[in-house]
Amino acid sequence: MSEVTRRPATGPAAASPGEVPTIWTTGWTDIFNTGTWRAATPIHEWRSSPCHTDCPIGNTIPGWIANIREGAYQEAWLALVETNPFPAVTGRVCHHPCEGHCNREVIETVVGINGLEHFLGDRALEEGWALPAPVGSQGKRVAVVGGGPAGLSCAYHLRRLGYDVTVFEARDELGGLLRYGIPEYRLAAGVVDAEIARLLDLGIEVRLGAPVADAAELEALEAEYDAVFLGVGAQQAKMLAHLEDGAGAGRVLDGLEYLRRCTEGVARDLGERMTVIGGGSAAMDVARSARRLGHTVSVVALESRATMPAQPEEIEQALEEGVALFDGAMVAAVEAGADGGLMLNCVKVTLDLGAPAGELRPVPVEGGEFALAADVIVTAIGQDPDLAAFGDGLAVERALLLTEPTTLATSRAGVFAGGDVASVDRFVSEAIGAGRRAAYSIAEYLNHPDACIPERPKLEDSVNRTEVNPFYFETTERRERVVAPAAERLTGFDETISAYSTEDATAEAGRCMSCGFCVQCDNCFVFCPDMAVQKDASAAGAESAAPSASEGAPATAPPAGVRVTAAVPCVGAPPDSGPFYFVLDQYCKGCGLCVTECPRGAVRLEQVNL
Amino acid sequence: MHTYELDEQKVFNSGHNACPGCGEALAVRYVLNTMGPNTIGVIPPSCIAIISGPQPYSSMRIPVYQTTLEASAASAAGISRALKRQGKHDVNVLALAGDGGTYDIGFQALSGAAERNEDMVYVCLDNEGYMNTGAQKSSSTPYLAVTSSTPGGKPSDKKDIAEIMAAHRIPYVATATVGYPDDLARKVAKARDMKGMRFIVVLTPCLDGWGVADDGAVRVSRLAVDTGFFPLYEVEDGERYTINHGPKGIPVERYLEQQKRYRHLDEDQVKEIQAGVDHRWSLLQARVESMAGQARIR
Repeated sequence: MSEVTRRPATGPAAASPGEVPTIWTTGWTDIFNTGTWRAATPIHEWRSSPCHTDCPIGNTIPGWIANIREGAYQEAWLALVETNPFPAVTGRVCHHPCEGHCNREVIETVVGINGLEHFLGDRALEEGWALPAPVGSQGKRVAVVGGGPAGLSCAYHLRRLGYDVTVFEARDELGGLLRYGIPEYRLAAGVVDAEIARLLDLGIEVRLGAPVADAAELEALEAEYDAVFLGVGAQQAKMLAHLEDGAGAGRVLDGLEYLRRCTEGVARDLGERMTVIGGGSAAMDVARSARRLGHTVSVVALESRATMPAQPEEIEQALEEGVALFDGAMVAAVEAGADGGLMLNCVKVTLDLGAPAGELRPVPVEGGEFALAADVIVTAIGQDPDLAAFGDGLAVERALLLTEPTTLATSRAGVFAGGDVASVDRFVSEAIGAGRRAAYSIAEYLNHPDACIPERPKLEDSVNRTEVNPFYFETTERRERVVAPAAERLTGFDETISAYSTEDATAEAGRCMSCGFCVQCDNCFVFCPDMAVQKDASAAGAESAAPSASEGAPATAPPAGVRVTAAVPCVGAPPDSGPFYFVLDQYCKGCGLCVTECPRGAVRLEQVNL
Repeated sequence: MHTYELDEQKVFNSGHNACPGCGEALAVRYVLNTMGPNTIGVIPPSCIAIISGPQPYSSMRIPVYQTTLEASAASAAGISRALKRQGKHDVNVLALAGDGGTYDIGFQALSGAAERNEDMVYVCLDNEGYMNTGAQKSSSTPYLAVTSSTPGGKPSDKKDIAEIMAAHRIPYVATATVGYPDDLARKVAKARDMKGMRFIVVLTPCLDGWGVADDGAVRVSRLAVDTGFFPLYEVEDGERYTINHGPKGIPVERYLEQQKRYRHLDEDQVKEIQAGVDHRWSLLQARVESMAGQARIR
């Protein structure tokens, strides 16, 4: 740096020959406090991305996708299992709400988050990576009732928090719905086995064939354990009484029962023509399993195809596999058919938009009558929990265990519940998320020194489409997982979707814009006309001697004034590659260029309150 | 995802007097921090003179000579020759002038210095008007833009200074803008490491004079390029053309609608401006083609 002789600003003296002329400049502008011009201040923040907000398990998705981009797969997987112990399962069967509000849509289309999870989940099983070990011991015991996704997720998080956990499972094997409710072509038993075995390696006690079915047994558990989690699922199929009388008698089966028989390999000869009633994933699972076993299958769903709860790709694949779909329709009555089978009198319907949330109220369309021939009817219209045996000890509302939404506590102190038994959100990931929430809630109930219940971020606080800057992203086609052709799929129960190759995963991870998660791209630094955004405090202090609050902060830690607002797990490390920029109070004029040019909405402008 | 890697040396200081979000201050940052501390600056009256600091304070950690509005190139030429006379051949001489001091009032000194191929880097920070004195029009103000002296919109076209300077057949002419900071810094570094007369015109949005939001300098400057209004290119020795960034198929309306100075335009006028942009772009491409493969004469 050039050194300038500093003299008082008295103006140029007449330079006599041989004398160095007086220099006008006596100091630098960095003594000025241009920060006083400011009406708003940029704040670097970890903000919630829409995928993170929408994830029922609270995955910090942009974080582990960034790891995939860098090729750090194990690191990515460890970040993923921070919340979800079953990535290989959810990578296959999650309904991926994370892709619903993905901001990548402003460029071309949403990021294949579910595929990336599938990739990581399989990579971990191939490599035999272990789950993170429990942190310390709390010296307390928790009973988890139900070895399905909710119960196992709860057991996992409790174990990691340092509790001794015993899982009580009514059947002979763990897995619940993962094992008995999802056909093998979507989720191979080997994957379920491997992820559960890895979980049990953390030291979780399991009692198989040990149902906790009534109030007395629950009381016994309460006496022996410090807390109880109930994740017993919803086992009682809803039925349609008007189909089971008369001609239908003995020819109506529920979907869960049918799938169980398929997995156990004892699906009996039910007749060639099957009609499945229902529009959700379970209906698709029944229909597609039945196609694999040689049935002719039709599906009758109340909802239109666009509004059916089943995933669009499931419906598409079912149709490819030869399932006939009658959407926006219902079976009004069953008669004996001329050929010894059944004649189903159906009618097209619309749904009453005025019906209460969660209730379907079909309105028949005039002249929309049609008939279907069938030998067997399978209903897949949902299940209710079987709670009668628990008596009055547990409060029940609308056939579900009543729980407090934040803590998942039931009406009995020390008893918590989650998953299908307490919720109408019947998705695997919702159950895993509820198990996680309940684990932290139980830890709080048991006075764990560090645990707190994860906050649910709100979509309106998440980075939205107007906050990302599309200029910085090139149009790149989304990679899709390879799906086997329909003819091949119909030959058996092998898995039909292949995970991404490493190349596909890297390319797909490259499409993630990392909304709200600073990746240190330097745009805020580069585009500041006042050099008020600094990368680390040492650089600022050395050059300009700015009397700033941030001065002297170590370069590695986020300096004072950098907020961390994304909902990250309370236990475990917060993001260690946090925003490392900070704003020099003295110079920032509050123009907002750093906010606008941040590609991912990780800088926010906040009004200055004087 | 595109990221910028700039090799900056700290010459330009915080605490300067540019407006919040000023495009010109950004340009000064990239130019000075790329030129480095071994540089003498020459600045005529302009926004840059204001940004360089109220006496006796300076925002530029280099010696700066504030000259008259018509004399930037002549002053820089004098300093450059004096340095050589002293045997100092490694000091950069940088003239930093606005469009008024370049296109209009300093033009004959500039043309003369170019004709003599004086050894300097001359950077014109072009905000398309006399923004420092109340936003009057200059010969750089574009067609139909409102200024305080053309309240109905300027009736004549913007002077094409890059082509004028290229016609002087000087070693290096380039156009650049703050929305493409890596391109700008690369051109400054390239010019710095050459000899003879080097000229860069940098489009720098004036938030107040153009009527642009405080956070809009980069966005607007980028749109100027992406709509083809201000293509980024280089000309070496007056004939070797390289186009760096041209139109991306975005209508010029997207650029105009960001600025209050174009708010009065009707549909036909927008079409007229679009036609002018398309025409100039095709002329530039034709020049690139006609010059390609030509033997170097000088």
